[in-house]
Amino acid sequence: MLRVNELVKTFGGFKAVDGAHLHVAPGEVVAVIGPNGAGKTTLFHLITGQLVPDRGEILFKGKNIAGLPPHKVCRRGIARSYQVVNVFDRLTVLENVQIAVLARQSKTWNLFQTASRMCLEDTIRILQNVGLADKADRICANLSHGDRKVLEIAITLGSKPELIIMDEPTAGMSPEETAATLKLMQRLCRQMGLTLLFCEHDMEMVFSIADRIMVMQQGRTIIQDIPERVRADKRVREAYLGGADTCSA
Amino acid sequence: MKPENTGIKKTAAALGTVAGFMLLALILPRYYLYLLALILTTGLLATSLNLVLGFGGMYQFHHAVFYGTGAYCLALILTKTGLPAWLGYLAAPLAAALLGLIMGLLTVRLSALYFGMLQISLGSLVWAIVYRWYSFTGGDDGIHGIPVPDLIGTSRGAYLFVVLVTGACLAVMYRIVTSPFGMVFTGIRDNPERCRAVGINVTGHQLAGQVMAAFFAGVAGTLFVTVEGSVFPDMMFWTLSLEILIMCLLGGWFTFFGPLLGAAIIVVLRTVVGSYTEYWTLVLGVVLILLIFFLPEGVLGMIRRGGDNAAGK
Amino acid sequence: MHSGGITFAALMQQVLVGLSRTTILFIVSSGLSLVLGVLRIPNVAHGSLYMIGAFVTFSVANFYGQTGFGFIAALVLAPLVVAAVSLVLERGLLCRLYDREHLMLLLFTFAFTLIFADLVKMIWGSDYRSLNAPAWLQGSFDLAGLPFPRYSLFLLIMGPLVALGLWLLTNKTRIGKIARAAAVDREMVDAIGIDVSRVFAAVFVIGCYLAGLGGALVAPTQNITQGMDHTIIIEAFLIVIIGGLGNIWGALLGAAIFGLTDAIGILVWPQFAIVFPYMAVVIVLLIRPRGLLKAIW
Repeated sequence: MLRVNELVKTFGGFKAVDGAHLHVAPGEVVAVIGPNGAGKTTLFHLITGQLVPDRGEILFKGKNIAGLPPHKVCRRGIARSYQVVNVFDRLTVLENVQIAVLARQSKTWNLFQTASRMCLEDTIRILQNVGLADKADRICANLSHGDRKVLEIAITLGSKPELIIMDEPTAGMSPEETAATLKLMQRLCRQMGLTLLFCEHDMEMVFSIADRIMVMQQGRTIIQDIPERVRADKRVREAYLGGADTCSA
Repeated sequence: MKPENTGIKKTAAALGTVAGFMLLALILPRYYLYLLALILTTGLLATSLNLVLGFGGMYQFHHAVFYGTGAYCLALILTKTGLPAWLGYLAAPLAAALLGLIMGLLTVRLSALYFGMLQISLGSLVWAIVYRWYSFTGGDDGIHGIPVPDLIGTSRGAYLFVVLVTGACLAVMYRIVTSPFGMVFTGIRDNPERCRAVGINVTGHQLAGQVMAAFFAGVAGTLFVTVEGSVFPDMMFWTLSLEILIMCLLGGWFTFFGPLLGAAIIVVLRTVVGSYTEYWTLVLGVVLILLIFFLPEGVLGMIRRGGDNAAGK
Repeated sequence: MHSGGITFAALMQQVLVGLSRTTILFIVSSGLSLVLGVLRIPNVAHGSLYMIGAFVTFSVANFYGQTGFGFIAALVLAPLVVAAVSLVLERGLLCRLYDREHLMLLLFTFAFTLIFADLVKMIWGSDYRSLNAPAWLQGSFDLAGLPFPRYSLFLLIMGPLVALGLWLLTNKTRIGKIARAAAVDREMVDAIGIDVSRVFAAVFVIGCYLAGLGGALVAPTQNITQGMDHTIIIEAFLIVIIGGLGNIWGALLGAAIFGLTDAIGILVWPQFAIVFPYMAVVIVLLIRPRGLLKAIW
């Protein structure tokens, strides 16, 4: 479904991504891991169009999407969630998701219908799926951090994507919230047959839900394989200083 | 309450308000009709600004230029050409919208503050041309004694015209604000990056918003010509733009009717204060400082917030 | 247009006029640029402070009977008065608003534009004032066959002096270095234990001092009127934008573009001279929307 070849991005001499490879098959859950500064976030920004790559190709369903602006990438069927909570603070929970649904159904140029009555079933179904339906009318700024993270995922689902990209979905969460989010993601992937690409520092989470894991170091892909083989790989252990304690999980 | 019911109720309330304002034409003396017409015109102008400012989060620093363009376009058509007047009333807002499109194309990609400052510079260019082109625009004298059609040439006729046009424009803008476009627009205000990520063409929407706002500002400009019978370059000077901004802020720029209220307060205050002292701008300055410190969300914003707190939200 | 009648001598004359105008514009807009770059405040009241500077210069010089000493005294005192006003403004009100959005800061300074305009009207009345330069700066001397006003030469000397002073201040002093760091990353400077608020106050006051200095220097060259605040502030903003926000050399470059196009415009098409600099600005911004030189942010 997604294939990244020889991707390069430099920032004034610093090679943030330096010939990375990645392959995601339909229905698969793929995790990207690597030490801080390995280029994971840059890689995601390149795929979702926030950044334009210097070289290389990003094939999504066989078409090169490298260099497309973010909103067009989303229209092709890739939606993302953010590492830092990135929602619409002054809108209600319902409206937050509704915007994504409206955008998905190409209704954002509609000037003369009442928005609050549109796409309600789709929106409420998503909120029920993630367990936010009872908070639909709350102003988003007043939610707890955990709920806002879940809302973040709900907005992403609103785009009805074929591929979801998540940048550290559990960053800044308490252990309980992390566990809940993990469960939610597992359930969503099973139920909706989503294809998921994410990066994460929590190794427990990575090894429990990922079908395959891609390891990055200094902008390069070291390995992409099933968890058992990644765990056993010598280069991966070298890449992670003190790899013993992170990989022992 | 069913949603259909609220829709009907709102329409009824709107029509009732317009009818009420029209009835006032029978009762009020001429001066008050003039004042009311001025308030509605200014209110329409402020609401059109708020379309992009409060709902779109765009730093529209030089909105008056569209107001002035509408007014000048109508004034020039009425004084310099033999074209029918209604054509002027149609062409003027379109000219303002066209200017909005041109300026928008040049500015809309920039970040908020750069957007605002480039808009001021482009607007000042338009102002400078109008200010200097004596043979065409009358320069700093402006154009006076503009022949408005007889039907709306009387103070009562002008008032009724202003009420109807303002009512219609506000209704359309209300629809826009509550439409999917409007909801997306508020989304762009809060978080443009996220909007892009869910597949929204942010600059496209901002450009469209700017064109619409310019259009309605142009309409307000034609109303001004109808009420005053004259135009002058101060109508598109940057200080007026900031005064309209103050109206939005005063009334509450996250609300639809806030700018209307703000415009009413400012116009009334100016009239009242102006009759006592020549130092009106000093008073306005002090009001503005008090606003910034004590009422940053404006009158309606504060009332709504009070309501939300009472409702436990 | 009657461009056929332009002689080389007249052109050179206008270039010199443009350059001395550049000096004033540079001094005013470098102050604005400093405040905008470091504090991120679009200070609309900057033009008002310039106007106050001009009026105070007039009053001080008049107090000494428009003598040479009076003018020098005014040149020293007027900017200081303006700086004092800005210090009160900053410490009293503005410093409480630093965490608010740009729009609020802009409107706050606009409030003071309104207030200062009426205060000036109260103190000095609505009539325009004019001030003669002291005797030793009046008249002109011969420069390669062209009459060159002494005061213009004086301005041309003042400009580079101010530029040099500013460069030394921002690059060679502790406060300048802190200010430049704060312009890029405010939290970082805060985190290493420097009182950013006081640095901001200092920068704001220096910026406003420059507005006052510009006003003092311009006083003998034109009528001192209500409304001079409105014209200069737009010009200064445009100069800062085309030069590159917060960049002192950008302000110099922008001022030169503005001053020269204005002066040459007068020669080419007097009625629309005012349009030329605006056109130049639009052209520059179409090519480089973030200004000619590197903007601080």
